[in-house]
Amino acid sequence: MHAQDQMTPNERLQAFMKGEKMDRILAMPILVSISHRVSGMTHREKRASALKQAQSQIDCYQRYGNDMMIIEYGLHGIGTALGSEMNDPEDSLPAIVNHVLKNLQDIDQLDFNKTKKENDPWFARTLEACEICQEKMGQEVPTGVLITGPFTAVSSILPTENLLRATRKDPASIHRLLRLCTDALKDIYKEYIERGIIILMCDPIASGTLLKKSQYVEFVKPYATELMSYIHELGGMCCYHICGNTTSIVMEMVDTGPDMLSIDNLVDLEYVKEQVGKRLPILGNVPPVDVLMLGSRSDVFESVKTCILKGKDSPMGYIIASGCDITQNVPVENIDYMMEAVRKYGRYPIDEALLNEPATDH
Amino acid sequence: MKVMVKSKEELLQQLSDSVFEMDDENVADVAKEYIAAGYEALDGVLKGLVDGMNRAGQMYEEEEYFVTDLLVCSDAMYNGLDVLREHLPQEKAAGAVNYKCVIGVVEGDTHDIGKNLVRIMLETAGFEMYDLGRDVPLQSFVQKAKDVDAQLICLSTLMTTTMPGMKEVVDILVKEGIRDKVKVMIGGGPLSQAYCNQINADGYAVNATGAVTLAKQLVGMA
Repeated sequence: MHAQDQMTPNERLQAFMKGEKMDRILAMPILVSISHRVSGMTHREKRASALKQAQSQIDCYQRYGNDMMIIEYGLHGIGTALGSEMNDPEDSLPAIVNHVLKNLQDIDQLDFNKTKKENDPWFARTLEACEICQEKMGQEVPTGVLITGPFTAVSSILPTENLLRATRKDPASIHRLLRLCTDALKDIYKEYIERGIIILMCDPIASGTLLKKSQYVEFVKPYATELMSYIHELGGMCCYHICGNTTSIVMEMVDTGPDMLSIDNLVDLEYVKEQVGKRLPILGNVPPVDVLMLGSRSDVFESVKTCILKGKDSPMGYIIASGCDITQNVPVENIDYMMEAVRKYGRYPIDEALLNEPATDH
Repeated sequence: MKVMVKSKEELLQQLSDSVFEMDDENVADVAKEYIAAGYEALDGVLKGLVDGMNRAGQMYEEEEYFVTDLLVCSDAMYNGLDVLREHLPQEKAAGAVNYKCVIGVVEGDTHDIGKNLVRIMLETAGFEMYDLGRDVPLQSFVQKAKDVDAQLICLSTLMTTTMPGMKEVVDILVKEGIRDKVKVMIGGGPLSQAYCNQINADGYAVNATGAVTLAKQLVGMA
């Protein structure tokens, strides 16, 4: 347990769910893309080994005392299992360079058995990483998995531009792909849930920056809803995140039935609180680039203060988080500052005078 | 039987509507009909196809159209252009300025939808575009700008890991002594005006239509 905390993350999360007293506000900065930096390894080293994936999360937790460790299945897992080619950068997140599906007529050639843990070494490695996290730290801190939602899964198979065009030109084929991806994701989610892992469903390609609301409702919502009920059938828990501006689809997202909603920094926390704060806990939304990557210690403190001010009275509870995953270019000290600010402004009982003090140099 | 030849205005409207209404399948036939009737190809492009794309851009600005709509509109525009292009006059009018722009996604990043939309809208606005694609080596931006004598370089990225590449392009321009000859515009998910200032780029635009306004302003296009 972190020296400045009075409860472990597990105890804190339990108290949060039961509405009992906590020492401070829950804080879940999304420390995925930055974690190898905290451990002093390269991104390639991390992704090549289950042990290192787990170790980088444990190192983050031991340094920061953040409330959730996060293993990365990622956004491209289904596509790569099926045959999409990735690049292999030494020290950065890989990207797809060649999608497995070029033509929607070839959907039948995709073999979704390849996405199962027996056949997909990446998936198996992340499961092993989860097991290590649970074994070493499970008594103290929960582990989640950052994993694709249905629409982004399709974009790992088919280039996103083609996917977007096809929502208009060939919606039936896109629904077929979504059906196949949703079924595959069920089997994948199940493996994590059986290991006690929280599902962090991320669907960035379903972002309001790319899709309009009617597209979200037609192509994303039904499949996300199905996945949420499946997660709950298995006794699992899901936090739902879509990147970018989701202002227009916040209600729809909550209708799919997640246990928690995580919002990007492009969305106003106050607005989300008013719209859906009565229905579920909200996570958000310290800006990962403008504040955490480019900001000073003072910027980080002020941003944490603003988030807590906006979120603290959300009816079903508020968890401070980054608005999106924190990249490796963020100075690792800035996460120290974020947690320091959380421990200052988010300590219960909340000190309103402290929260309302004018901006200063911290 | 005598076939009625449609008026030029009617066909221009149809070309514009085909683009605006995302009819990428029939636009080529309309363009053929327009050429067969003996009307000027250049007007067909500017007052027909480009007009439709501009209307689409306006709707995007007003959040009525989204990315998918713009993509299909641009498919229609290019399908029409494929027909009209060979009928365009070869010689530019004397004294006409060519605004040239090099565009690409910086090295290490392969996300190119935003870049493609900006290329389409700048092309629509009359820029001569040199699209280097995605994952572009940084030196290539500068080399291409020198080769074609471009006034503008547009850099795009969706990833924070590749953002520093944008600064490097600016630095290369300085090192080669041509920083004052080329404007640098940046765009992409994680970027902001603050980052633009920090790396001494000339401008940041939040979306494709904003990019057009900014580009025109930077090169002094009327």
